[in-house]
Amino acid sequence: MTVEPILSGGTRGQTRRAVLAGGLAAAAALPLAGCGEAPRPITLRWWSPQAAPEQVRAYRAQIRAFEKKHPNIGVEFEPTSDEGYPAQFAAAFAAGQVPNIVTHLPSFAAQGYYAKGLLAPMDAVADAVGIARFLPGINDVYRAPDGSLAAIGIGGTAVDMLWVRSDLMAEAGIETIPRTWDALRDACRRMQRGAVYGAPLPYGNNSMTSLVFVSFIHRAGGQVFTPSLELALDSEPTYHALDFYRSMRELCPPGASSFGWADSLNAFVSGGTATGIYGGRVLANVARQNPRIAETLRCAAYPTMDATIPAWTFNDFPSLFIPKRASHPAETRAFAAFLYDPEGYVRQLLAAPGHVLPVLRGVAESDAYRSNPLTVSFASEIETMTAAAARGHNLGWESPAHRPNLKAGEIIASNAIAELVQRVVAGEPAKAAVGRAASAIERIMRG
Amino acid sequence: MTARPLLRPAARAPISDALLGPLLIAPAVLILCAVIVYPLLATAWLSLFAIDTRTMEGGWVGLANFAAMLGPDGRFFGALGVTLVWTAGTLTLQLALGIGIALLLHQPLWFRSLARGLALFPYLVSTVVAVLVWRWLFNDFFGLFNRALIGLDVISRPVDWLGQMPNAMASTIVVGAWKFFPFVVIAVLARLQTIPDSLYEAARLDGAGAWGRFRDVTLPQLADVLGIVILLRAIWDFKEFDLIFLLTGGGPVDATRTLPLVVYQEAFGLNRMGLASAHALGMMVVMTVMFVAYRLLTKART
Repeated sequence: MTVEPILSGGTRGQTRRAVLAGGLAAAAALPLAGCGEAPRPITLRWWSPQAAPEQVRAYRAQIRAFEKKHPNIGVEFEPTSDEGYPAQFAAAFAAGQVPNIVTHLPSFAAQGYYAKGLLAPMDAVADAVGIARFLPGINDVYRAPDGSLAAIGIGGTAVDMLWVRSDLMAEAGIETIPRTWDALRDACRRMQRGAVYGAPLPYGNNSMTSLVFVSFIHRAGGQVFTPSLELALDSEPTYHALDFYRSMRELCPPGASSFGWADSLNAFVSGGTATGIYGGRVLANVARQNPRIAETLRCAAYPTMDATIPAWTFNDFPSLFIPKRASHPAETRAFAAFLYDPEGYVRQLLAAPGHVLPVLRGVAESDAYRSNPLTVSFASEIETMTAAAARGHNLGWESPAHRPNLKAGEIIASNAIAELVQRVVAGEPAKAAVGRAASAIERIMRG
Repeated sequence: MTARPLLRPAARAPISDALLGPLLIAPAVLILCAVIVYPLLATAWLSLFAIDTRTMEGGWVGLANFAAMLGPDGRFFGALGVTLVWTAGTLTLQLALGIGIALLLHQPLWFRSLARGLALFPYLVSTVVAVLVWRWLFNDFFGLFNRALIGLDVISRPVDWLGQMPNAMASTIVVGAWKFFPFVVIAVLARLQTIPDSLYEAARLDGAGAWGRFRDVTLPQLADVLGIVILLRAIWDFKEFDLIFLLTGGGPVDATRTLPLVVYQEAFGLNRMGLASAHALGMMVVMTVMFVAYRLLTKART
């Protein structure tokens, strides 16, 4: 395979039109010369749903460093959201107004877009970063059926870890972090008192409920699809998962029926629930918003139905990809590779310590990464999450034996699984609710 | 020397009157075609294809999208029912609140100008901000409503205002009424100020009390303006999207998923632009039927 140069340094091949455009841009810039920074001839747009203020500050630092090296290129960061990106991207692709570079979207989103011919292969960027610099196997999840990389990893996240507070456990006489559903339910019941609820499980009509419930099916020993992508939803493990999930409703806040990611996180961080279900963002948020509980935080893989079933953690495999119709492809590839420059990359990771985990060799062990107060204080938790993320999967790749599910993004966006949960919690017979969900998912798979 | 006639016989006009009219309105017609007719025809055309929103590619399916939409697995009728409940509920509340507050603001109150300004406030606030504030009020940990009700011993456990029925629909209707009632206030207040005092004087002389004057003088005088207000607000409420989407997302399950939310989900969640277009056309047909019926009804009454 021929690797395209990442960024051409010369001006060969410039057309008269390009020269004229450059001249016009320069002329247009003249009146502004005395009013601050001159506009740059090339502007790249960068979208990401990971856009907490600290993260955006880290991105801007990376942008400034890149712009310093490439004075003719400017980069604009634009936040999107976990819940809203399917619609935003559908509109952007339809209108041809795509961003140049997209980071932190789940692997299944990248695979789905690539399958539709909407993304450029990322092999050149992977080579520019140095394929050997990535942790072994980290990019396998992005490997498309044509052998190219639909995206490359920019991080890993153990999204649905169990978070507990040792002080509340001690008060309730609980000695070990629950390992099974029965133990978890019992612990939540014992820790639920006053205004503190047991757990912030999501029951909303949204992506979090769908993604989290897929994990529960696996934690009962089941799967949504077989490795050859036959729908396997109507199975005993699904019914066990529904039973457990329904039984936990009384141990969750009343508003959990509309909980999304932010609500669930805030419920635990604020002390409203005794346990939490989230990724490493809990660490930074507790440190900033509720430091009095910081020392009591512990995390573990979320419990399974029984101890014989191995833990299953949802890793969305945050990705980096480039839409095929993005302008300035060479400059975009150069910026994409630059995002892995160690200094900026570590700063980006430390903007949400433990939440977006490193995918490059040596980063987790580096002094720069380990010098952060949170990575020092919560080294054990970060290690636990790193191990869970390394074994993690998602609906787009349910196990190493599974083919990539190119429709996973649409299944999640349809809320078919979230609606299944809502129907069962509202009292609809599980068999009928599973039947409806299965029909909806089958329609999507056929479409 | 022959004096020049003051008015010369008109030179033959290069454009005839018959042509001048259409030419003058042509720009407006062209703009209307671009912003109304073209999108409408494009939607109708798209509804005949199975098109992926992201690629805008797909094949001809004829009326299959309409069959799917109206068939046993379709969501049109369910969403239409939800839309009608929302529209009727919020419109009724908007009218009650709007007329009541307009009557109040028509009285000689202290700080009347300030009160009139404040009454418009919800209409001026962006929907996103309004929904965020209301979601905070509904919050079960920190929300004012739950705190107050628990503090007053009315409830022992927070109420789930947005996640279960019928609370979700009721809450959405209340927030919608709060957001949009000022439109009714503006229109009704303007009309109230033009009702001659002599009508009230005459009613008083005839022995009419406060309720009688309202029923026999105020309401008939407001009839025309209320007709327009109901028509406009019903159209706007029927196609309301952002407030409901941000407040409940259409849940629980589909309990607050109105037709605009279905169109949005089909187009941008499920990437089925053809089916979304079919729903949008269906929505337009329903609105047209409803409002033609409404106009006929009001015409017949007058």
